[in-house]
Amino acid sequence: MLYDIPGRADSIISSDLLEQWNQTIQNAYDRLGNWKNRFFTLDPSSLKNPVRAPIKWFGDPAEPAFCLDEPTAKQLCDWGVPGRHVLHNEYCEYRVIEKPDTTGKMRPKRVEVTTELREYWTCIAKFDPVAVRAMVENVLGFLPSWEALYGVSNPSLLSPRQREIAFSRLVSGHGNNAELVAAAVPEQPIGALNQDNALFMTHPINGLDDLLYIVMFGAAPYVIRTDTGLKSAVREQIFRQYNVEGLACRHADPAAAMGAQGAAMNGQTVAFDNPLGMYILSFNHPVFRYQDQAVPEEWIRFSRGEKDMYQRLVFGPSDADEAFLDDIVVEVGSDIQPLTGGFQVLQQIEIGPIIVVGEPTPVAADEYVILRTSADPIRCRDAGICDRIYQLKQQYDTAQKIGRVAPRQMGVLS
Amino acid sequence: MTGQLQEGIYHAPGVRPDQCFGIMFLRAARGLTAPQIGTAFQTLWAMYQNLKQGQVKDIPGAPVPSGDLTVLVGYGPNVFKLADRGRSLPLDLGAKNQFRSARPTGGGPLLLGSGLSYADDIQFNPATEEIALQFIAKTELAVNRAVVETWKSLQDLTDPETGESPLLITRFYTGFQRNDERSWIDFHDGVSNMKSSERIQAIAIKEDQTSPEDKWTVGGTYLAFLRLPVDLTVWRKLTRQQQEIIVGRDKLSGCPLEMIDKDGNPVVQTGCPFAGTREVTHPENKEYRELPRVPLESPLNASHSHRANQNKAEDVGSRNSLRVFRQGYEFLEAIDSTPGFRAGLNFVSFQDTPERLLRMLTQPTWLGGVNFGGADKAQLPGMERFITVRAGGVFLVPPVVEGEVFPGSTIFGL
Repeated sequence: MLYDIPGRADSIISSDLLEQWNQTIQNAYDRLGNWKNRFFTLDPSSLKNPVRAPIKWFGDPAEPAFCLDEPTAKQLCDWGVPGRHVLHNEYCEYRVIEKPDTTGKMRPKRVEVTTELREYWTCIAKFDPVAVRAMVENVLGFLPSWEALYGVSNPSLLSPRQREIAFSRLVSGHGNNAELVAAAVPEQPIGALNQDNALFMTHPINGLDDLLYIVMFGAAPYVIRTDTGLKSAVREQIFRQYNVEGLACRHADPAAAMGAQGAAMNGQTVAFDNPLGMYILSFNHPVFRYQDQAVPEEWIRFSRGEKDMYQRLVFGPSDADEAFLDDIVVEVGSDIQPLTGGFQVLQQIEIGPIIVVGEPTPVAADEYVILRTSADPIRCRDAGICDRIYQLKQQYDTAQKIGRVAPRQMGVLS
Repeated sequence: MTGQLQEGIYHAPGVRPDQCFGIMFLRAARGLTAPQIGTAFQTLWAMYQNLKQGQVKDIPGAPVPSGDLTVLVGYGPNVFKLADRGRSLPLDLGAKNQFRSARPTGGGPLLLGSGLSYADDIQFNPATEEIALQFIAKTELAVNRAVVETWKSLQDLTDPETGESPLLITRFYTGFQRNDERSWIDFHDGVSNMKSSERIQAIAIKEDQTSPEDKWTVGGTYLAFLRLPVDLTVWRKLTRQQQEIIVGRDKLSGCPLEMIDKDGNPVVQTGCPFAGTREVTHPENKEYRELPRVPLESPLNASHSHRANQNKAEDVGSRNSLRVFRQGYEFLEAIDSTPGFRAGLNFVSFQDTPERLLRMLTQPTWLGGVNFGGADKAQLPGMERFITVRAGGVFLVPPVVEGEVFPGSTIFGL
């Protein structure tokens, strides 16, 4: 067994389950066989004199901002479940919890942010229903029904495979797992548990295999040949070489890939430190103010991991508090805006895996990956994802029009 | 047509800024329209072009040494409030990318989340005017002459009836380069600045990251300016070891530290400086200009050098990389109170969006929460006010576009 559970968040997990989690990681790694080389290892303990190498990026989705603009990105990302399912793909997802105020109007109360990997939860759900039910209770504060988790009253009667499918259908989605797709599991969960709350990440791009991929993809000494010899390739050349230019426009992929490439150019082997996971590395909370004061500390609740390895943040007043999220203001630069959703919170959060690199070694001539692609700028707005985002914007605009209650009343039904 | 960067940004390989620096702020007279202000500035711009040729209006036919003067113009948000303007405020010059105002009673944070504050006697930030002009030249005379000639031209433009000039010099600051590559705190500075080959990626506003309305800014850049005195009394009370741990470098050689031993003594990176050399600035020590990776738990990660230099493997063109190109100049000015002088840095940076700098100054794992360096909430005595701010502003530096009467003339409808 190589890896502890992500963030060392759950003490209730048995050694059998831990082995299953490690097998899940191994399987994801094996599926990426084309990217294996000596510059990435799954075993951090095999590195000589390892040093941690921060790779991090901001949690706010980059794609809607480059396809449209930042104000529209905020609008769409904050658009509840549709926004989350389409756009929250920088390994950070959120859900805004709304509550009625004293007048009965629904207002944002707090934001739940998660960076937890769906594969971990699905692995536990597959092999140990009792454990996963306890985890949900621990996170959300109530004991979910078996039906909400598996669609049946007694999941112990199901095989592990049947449990995986049932749990994925209701709580975690298919995560681009071919077997789950073949079993007609939808891309995103249809159950309420992980829609009404951000229990863990469900966007298919936020998966374990993609996390492994973006680091392994970068972990090679990519170079171009010049008149004076070999020269390190730039982001445009690397992403263009593999026809994934669109990924270069995001926060996560270039940060992870180029960080790994930088190490490989030094002959350093890269690994995920133990435990493998996606972590909230910083939160610039001083920019949030309530009644001209710092936000009360109890409104910032990190969990699901040890210090420096948190995977969950709940930000905002509790139900017992009279305040609402939009009573908080965000003071960025000289701008002051009410906090109305999660996008503004994610703009202040840095996330990333914890990467370690080994000692530098000489890179042999035949280890260089020589690219011949152009370094011309990548036109992010040409990325295929923009078409999907324009569609989402149309859907959003339509929904807002439908929500108007009368010609002279411009309020929007929530 | 895509424009080119203005002069005065020394980003190209093998190019170094000249010794003398000046920055001047011009305020537009109230009640005048954008075309009126633009026409007045056109006169100034023509005068600067003559100055660069050594031609001074009051001594026609008697050329003076130009000092290789360069003139760069930037525009603050207020210029986009003038009546009859030809352009609207670019998104990246908006309030969220501007520094906060000083408190009316003096002092106050530069940004929420940052450890930098205005000096207690600063009640008004002078760097918030419509126009900023950067002068760089080989001689003090050339820079100073540009300031005085500006005043002369504005005198000539004064309306005889009202006695008002369309533009008013509100403040100017000067500075100089040091040939010891150190700063007033005696440590080497700028040795790990961005590689010249990479700078343009971080500096130039990119078409693909710019909204259709702001396309006219593509090829330009954003200038950030901070006038930052250092409190040498506080600094000199620290031991050499304390200073080195805060900076992250050896004081004499400039070599990076790689660890702190069990007795709390800083340990210089093995091999640095190269035998026969004494300082990291020596060409033989090129490889030691960059900081080594240190374990994540090392207190050296809290040093100024490490906080300011992260994500270095990531492509500098990525907004997420938070890389900026610094082109600072030291200053020394006489004051009436003890010790009779004020020493500090004219911080000047160029970046494709000011967001990079503002995030770097506020995010906790970067420079957020600390004044200069060291652990958050554990700064050594006085170090929380070691650097203060006397002026700060962010300006759009429009590209040079063929056919325009001066860079950014379309803002004024010209």
